[in-house]
Amino acid sequence: MYALMLLQASPDDVVLREMERLQRNFTFLNSGLWVAWLILVVYVLMMVSRERKLKREIAGLKAMLEDKPRS
Amino acid sequence: MRDKILYFIAAVAVLLLAYDIYKFTGFPPERNQGVIFKIIFFHVPMAITALTCAMVAFVASVLFLITKKFQFDALAVAVTEVGLAFLAGNLITGSIWGRVAWGIWWAWDARLTSALVCWLLYAGYLMLRNAIEEPTQRATFAAVFSIFAFIDVPIVIFSIKWWRTQHPQPVFWGGGSFPPDWKAVFGWQMLAIMLLGVVFTLVRLRQEQFQREIDSLRRMAHAL
Repeated sequence: MYALMLLQASPDDVVLREMERLQRNFTFLNSGLWVAWLILVVYVLMMVSRERKLKREIAGLKAMLEDKPRS
Repeated sequence: MRDKILYFIAAVAVLLLAYDIYKFTGFPPERNQGVIFKIIFFHVPMAITALTCAMVAFVASVLFLITKKFQFDALAVAVTEVGLAFLAGNLITGSIWGRVAWGIWWAWDARLTSALVCWLLYAGYLMLRNAIEEPTQRATFAAVFSIFAFIDVPIVIFSIKWWRTQHPQPVFWGGGSFPPDWKAVFGWQMLAIMLLGVVFTLVRLRQEQFQREIDSLRRMAHAL
């Protein structure tokens, strides 16, 4: 089907269509790579924020335990 | 010392990733699919890493049920979460690739559906863990669930052999071929993503240790 369309089209049309196809192809590759990186970065950020929260909680509990025997 | 090793592995992984992206962007487009084919450098390593994580989770869950040691439970949850992130990356990059190669974002064929079911099962595993308070009960239920969820992994792997699917046969073990320079970069990319998986798992394991510390501190606080 695509080959038949190419046969009927003028050389300029063929070049234009091929360039459009390449451009679209490149845009999709670009977005695919961005998404892959984004997932990794978001996961790293999630882990960093969770670690901070856990450390804060440990510090809070330790402070509470140190205070308790005195009171 | 352990932190330094972690940072070192992470730095190696990121450098390798940067090197691989630099290399594969310089490769010529694939003859039939054009440049979109290069998404394989993320799509396949992410899938292999995710399924390796599922395998480790299975082994750790079995070992937990045998030994009742909580280190295995911590390992199982760490690799499951990391695997889930990589499987999400695999599904999304696959969907983008499918949009160009097939003209559709998604097809309900055996490979894609079983991979999605796998993601949902492991997401369910993490939700189950959040729903149970008591640590021993949580670890036991989660281990049984993880073993059950692992049944889907061979289905994901072999679905393209067992059924006729929209998803093509693999390039490496399905009769396809790769130029030698592509193969080398693919190998490095595989290593980079695996190393990232290792780093994420080690960080997640450390967080599980923190969580256990919090649990014991809470018990002490209640006792006082």
